[in-house]
Amino acid sequence: MTSAAVEPTPTAAPAASVIASVRDLRVHFRTKAGIVHAVDGVNFDIRNGETLGLVGETGCGKSVTARSFLQLVPMPPGIPVSGSILFRPRNPCPDCLGEGCSACDRTGRVSSPCPACSGEGCQHCDQTGLETIDLLDLPDQQLRDIRGDRIAMIFQDPGKALNPALSVRDQLGEVFFTHRSAELLDAAGIDPDTQSVTGRMIRRKANMRSRGVENLALAIPPLRDRRVALASAADGMVAAALAETQIPNPMSVMDRFPHELSGGMKQRVMIAQALACNPDLLIADEPTTALDVTVQARIIELISQLQERYRTAVLYISHDLSLVKRVCDRTAVMYAGQIVEVGDSDQIFHDPEHPYTQGLIEAIPSTNRERGRLEAIEGTVPELIEPESACRFAGRCPHTAPVCTTHDPVLEPIGEDRLVACFIHNPPATVPTEQLPRPDGRLL
Amino acid sequence: MQIRDYVLRRLLILPVLIVGVSIIVFALTRIGGSPIGIYLSHEMSAEEVAELEARFHLDEPIPVQYVYWAGGVLSGDLGWSGVAAAPVTEVFPDKLAATMELAVASAIVAVTLGIGLGTFAGARRDRFPDHVTRVVSISGAAMPLFWFAILLLIVFWVYLGWFPIGRSDAQIFASIPHPTGLYTVDALIAGNLTAFRDAVWHLVLPALTLGYGATAIIARMMRSSLVEELQEDYVDAARAKGLPERLVLRRHARRNALIPTVTVIGLSFGFLLQGTVVAEIIFRWPGLGRWMADSVLRGDQATIMTYVLFTSVLFLVVNLVVDVIYAYLDRRVVLGT
Repeated sequence: MTSAAVEPTPTAAPAASVIASVRDLRVHFRTKAGIVHAVDGVNFDIRNGETLGLVGETGCGKSVTARSFLQLVPMPPGIPVSGSILFRPRNPCPDCLGEGCSACDRTGRVSSPCPACSGEGCQHCDQTGLETIDLLDLPDQQLRDIRGDRIAMIFQDPGKALNPALSVRDQLGEVFFTHRSAELLDAAGIDPDTQSVTGRMIRRKANMRSRGVENLALAIPPLRDRRVALASAADGMVAAALAETQIPNPMSVMDRFPHELSGGMKQRVMIAQALACNPDLLIADEPTTALDVTVQARIIELISQLQERYRTAVLYISHDLSLVKRVCDRTAVMYAGQIVEVGDSDQIFHDPEHPYTQGLIEAIPSTNRERGRLEAIEGTVPELIEPESACRFAGRCPHTAPVCTTHDPVLEPIGEDRLVACFIHNPPATVPTEQLPRPDGRLL
Repeated sequence: MQIRDYVLRRLLILPVLIVGVSIIVFALTRIGGSPIGIYLSHEMSAEEVAELEARFHLDEPIPVQYVYWAGGVLSGDLGWSGVAAAPVTEVFPDKLAATMELAVASAIVAVTLGIGLGTFAGARRDRFPDHVTRVVSISGAAMPLFWFAILLLIVFWVYLGWFPIGRSDAQIFASIPHPTGLYTVDALIAGNLTAFRDAVWHLVLPALTLGYGATAIIARMMRSSLVEELQEDYVDAARAKGLPERLVLRRHARRNALIPTVTVIGLSFGFLLQGTVVAEIIFRWPGLGRWMADSVLRGDQATIMTYVLFTSVLFLVVNLVVDVIYAYLDRRVVLGT
C-alpha cells in the first residue's frame, strides 16, 4: 500500500447534530508549473450551533475549503476533483412559525426529514433521516437559494467585499429582494398572488427582475406608489439588519457608500448582510485580519453574540491561533491542503498531538517566555504540485521516520472526539516497527 | 457634497474654460498669418488693402484684434466666409446640424456597440466569443477611416445598393419642413415615417464608418476593466448573497467597469468630430467637414475659428456630461474635488 484509502471520517458526535460535513474534498488548480493540489482530501464536520476554527498557514487551503461551500472557487483555473460537502438545511419550525419555541430549541428552525426515505435513514441522507444536500452537486437555482440565505459568508477585507458604487441600502437590500421577496410584498401590502399586469410587474420588481423599460413604467404614479411601498418595506428590513450589529444610527448609514465608512463599520455592514436571512451556517474567512486590533475585539464579540442568539454554526477561518483559541469550540488544523488534527479547542491548545500543531502552538508569542526570541517551525511548506504519497509535514517534522516518506497518514480518532493524522498515533499495521516514528516522541 | 452641487460648480467653471479656449484658438489661428488674404484680389492697390485692414481692425496689435473678434462673437457676428461667399452665421447652422446629426448617430453606434461588445467579451474572458470580439474591435481601431468608408461604400452602395449616400432624397426632403435641421428629428416632428426611414437610411453608412473606430476603443476598454472588476471580492460577495449571475454582472461588475470606460467615451467624441471631415467628404454628407477642408486650404480664417471654437466648446460640454456620469457612477469622485 502506498497511499491510505480515505474513508468517511468517523465522528464521535451523532450525525444528526451535524449541520455540514466535508467529505474527502479535493480541489486542484491548473498552473503553468503543474497541477497544484491546494485542497487534497479534507474531512471535517461542523455541528449545529458550534464555532469551528479552521487554522493553518497562508496557502494551506483554508480559503479554498471555505469558498467551496458556496462554489466560489474560480473554475478554471480550479479543478473540482472529488468530494462532497453535505449540508442539512433547516426550515422554519412548524410549531412556532420561526418565532422560537421549545421544540426547536428557541432557534425557530428545524431540520426537515429526508425526502428520499421520509426520515427512515438511507444512504442519501447518511442514515440520519434528515434532508441532506451535496453543496458541490447542486442545480444553479438551488445553489443560489442557499447562498446568502442558509449559508452566508463574511469576507476578509470588508473594504473590498463591498461594492464601492452601491450604497449600503442597495447592497443590503439585495439580500432581501433575493431571498425574502414574499415577505417584502407582504410588508408593502401587495397581494403576492395578483395576476394583473401591474401586479406581475411589481412582483418582478420585488425579485429584481425588472428591465429598462419596465423601470420607466414603474416610475408612473399608480405603479410608483406600490414601488415606493416595496422600497420602504425593504428599507425597514435593512435598518433592522443594521441595528442588529449595533451600528450607530442605522438610518443614516443606509444612505452611505462604503468609502464613507470606517473599516469596523464596513465589517458590521458585511455581518448585517451575512446574517440578514438568519443562516444556518456562517463562513467567516478571516473576518478581522484587515481590521485594527481594537476593532477586531468588538467584531469578534459581535459575531459570537449574534451566533449565540440565532444558534448559527460558524466556520471560523483564521491564521491567528490565539484568536481561534478564544472564540472557537472546536479547532481543525490544516497543513498543505490536508487536515492534520481536529478536536476540542481547549484540548488542541493545551495538549496538541500532531507535531505540526505542536510547532504552531510553540510559535505563539507568549508573555511567560523569555523576551526577544520568537519560535518558528523549521523549513517551509512543501510544493503542492503533484505531491508524492507521503506525509506532507515529513520534511519539517522532528520525528520523521522512514514510513512518513512512503505513506500518507489519514485522520484517525485518538481518544474521545479527537482526530489526528500522524503515524506516531496511528501506526499502520503493515509497516515494520523500525520504520515507524517513536511513539513517545513528544516535542513539548 | 451632493452631485447637484458638483454639477453647478462644473457649470460655473465652463465659461472660464471657454474664454481660455477662445484665446488659444485665436492665437493659434494667427500663426497661419493675417486673415486678410481671403478678402483680397489681384486688382487691389496697396491703399485699398490698407483700407481693408483698417476696416477689419487688422492693423491693430493681436490682443486688441482678439477683443474685437470676441466682441463680434458675443454679438453674433462670426465674420465673412470667403469659401461660402456668405456670412459664417448664415451657412453655419445648417451644416452644423448635419454634422451634429452624424456625430450623435455615430456616438450612439459607438457607445451601444462598444459597451455591449465589451461586456459580452469581458464576461467570456479567453473563450471563443472573446477572441472574435477582439479581432473585430482591433480591426476597427487599426483600419484607416477613409479606407473602411470606401469599402462600405463599394459594398453597400455600389454592389448591394442597400443604403444610399448623401443626406436625403430630394423629393422627401421637400415634402416636410425642417425646423431643426436634424432630418431625423424633423421627420418625427412632421410625423412622417417615410421621411424618418429615409433620414436613418442615409445615416447608416457614415455613422457606421465613424462609429466603428470608436466602438473598438470603447469595447477594448470595457472588456479589460470588466475582466478586472470580475476578479474583485465584491463580485464573489454578490454571488455569496445568492444573486443570479446576470445581476452580478449588471448591477455589480459592469457598473464599476463603466467608470474608466466613460472617460474613454468622452475622449473618443473628439475622435468622432475629427472623423466627420473624412466621412462627410466620402459619403457626400453636406456637413461642416467639406466646408472646413476647403477653408483650411484657402485660409478662410473666420470659418476655421468658428469651427475650432465650436468643436472645442462642444468637447468641453461632452466631457462635462461625462464627468457628471462619472460622479454618479463613482461617488468617491465627488468627495475629492
